[in-house]
Amino acid sequence: MLDVKNIYKNFGDLKVLEGVSTQIAEGEVVAIIGASGSGKSTLLRCMNLLETPTFGEVWMDGKLLTPVDPYLHPEVIMASKTYKKLSAAGMSSEDAVAKIKAEDLINEKFSAAEGKEYRAEMKKIYDENHIDINLARQNMGMVFQQFNLFNNKSVLENVTLAPMKTRAKQMIKEGKSKKEVKEYFNGKAMALLNRIGLEDKANAYPSTLSGGQKQRIAIVRALAMEPKVMLFDEPTSALDPEMVGEVLDVMKGLAKEGMTMICVTHEMGFAREVADRVLFMHEGVIAESGTPDEIFNNPKHPKLQQFLGCVL
Amino acid sequence: MYLITMFEDMGKIFVKYWDLFLIKGVTATILLSLMTVFFGTVIGALLALVKISKIKPLKWLVNAIVEIIRGTPMLLQLYISTFLIPVIIPAMNELENKKILCISFTLILNSAAYVSEIIRSGIEAVDKGQTEAARSLGLNGTTTMIQVVLPQAVKNILPALGNEFITVIKETSLASTFYVGELMTQYHVIVGKTHNSLPILMIIGIIYFVLNFVLSKLLGVFERRMKAHA
Repeated sequence: MLDVKNIYKNFGDLKVLEGVSTQIAEGEVVAIIGASGSGKSTLLRCMNLLETPTFGEVWMDGKLLTPVDPYLHPEVIMASKTYKKLSAAGMSSEDAVAKIKAEDLINEKFSAAEGKEYRAEMKKIYDENHIDINLARQNMGMVFQQFNLFNNKSVLENVTLAPMKTRAKQMIKEGKSKKEVKEYFNGKAMALLNRIGLEDKANAYPSTLSGGQKQRIAIVRALAMEPKVMLFDEPTSALDPEMVGEVLDVMKGLAKEGMTMICVTHEMGFAREVADRVLFMHEGVIAESGTPDEIFNNPKHPKLQQFLGCVL
Repeated sequence: MYLITMFEDMGKIFVKYWDLFLIKGVTATILLSLMTVFFGTVIGALLALVKISKIKPLKWLVNAIVEIIRGTPMLLQLYISTFLIPVIIPAMNELENKKILCISFTLILNSAAYVSEIIRSGIEAVDKGQTEAARSLGLNGTTTMIQVVLPQAVKNILPALGNEFITVIKETSLASTFYVGELMTQYHVIVGKTHNSLPILMIIGIIYFVLNFVLSKLLGVFERRMKAHA
């Protein structure tokens, strides 16, 4: 469902991600753990392009979200002038591609320098596979550490805003009246709020809610778009301890229903209990991945052993 | 003793010329300020949008203009524009009120420069997480701006905009250099008749003070109300 290919992310000189690849299957619950600064939040934010990866590609359901990364497509490399130069110098095709990849010889900023064919090849791949990021994000819910409920909107408006703004037009085109559409989305939002037991807060404003309530509503707000995958960025880290449980319960419920979930988390109990797969990140790469049993009961990477020693 | 005479003179002059002070002067000052703030805000908002946009050349241009305006004295700008604009647009010379046009233009541009900074910082003060949350739901940049960022930015912007209004009221006095009829111009008019400067200046000072004091109190009430609704 989600295919992350060789993601690099630099913030200026700071290298946060250094080649991360992973595939997330439908219905899979993946927990990402690791010390702070290991790049786990950045990886999550690269998945829905809140951060644009410096290199690498993100694919969702066979659609490309990022720009084309030439290094991931041998046919693009072979269309480049750099490749032709190496070929002309008598290098074999495989060696030339490997050398270009290893030594970062394609000058992306000046892709004009790589010639027409190269650009045409890039454009072809882009045009065939690319999907507008706003459309893609409608299928990827995200929950933030700081909740980020819209402060200027009531709880109900928080939940209905995105569906109304992205889906109402189509429904009105199909012959529904504005009022019907609004009632439809309000009804759906109320059902979702009911599910987390907060329907009585529908008209309240975020500033009047507790952290736990805010985060549960933030989850529901993302669910209102009926996403195929949910991204959680340390959803319980900013909560008072007594509120962590209520948020985790909502997440466990989602996992049980078969939602595809990727959770950056410090809740090892949650990861162990709910996740199908755990990724341990260290210094910008996935240092170890496996089932919760493998990760927690039989960690191999020394840094993982050290990390678990600290948090468990 | 001198003070008492001065107060007496103030009374006499005010009674004689109250219409020049209150009707002509205050009206012109308020009209000029209102117009400046209104158009300054509209243009300032546009400049602010350019500033937060990603169109680099336009951004540099706007930043340069804003910095030049903020970095040179208003009086100088008024002088330059009254000489320069008619040179650039010769048709201006045939207009009867070209002076007031040039001055309004300068006041508006000056105000727009400050307002653009107010609006830009107001927008940038809205938590980034708000934008990220909206974008993560699949809303585009424009919808995010209109639905989420701007309504919150307005709360940061309005109080500062009120202060800008007060500043503008005071700055319009510089336009008196060109006799455009606002409150400070009336000083020149009346002093020509009475040859007694200080009482007139005191009266004008009191009028400016009352105007701005009332305005700032009104803004205070408005601000408190807005906070209560937040």
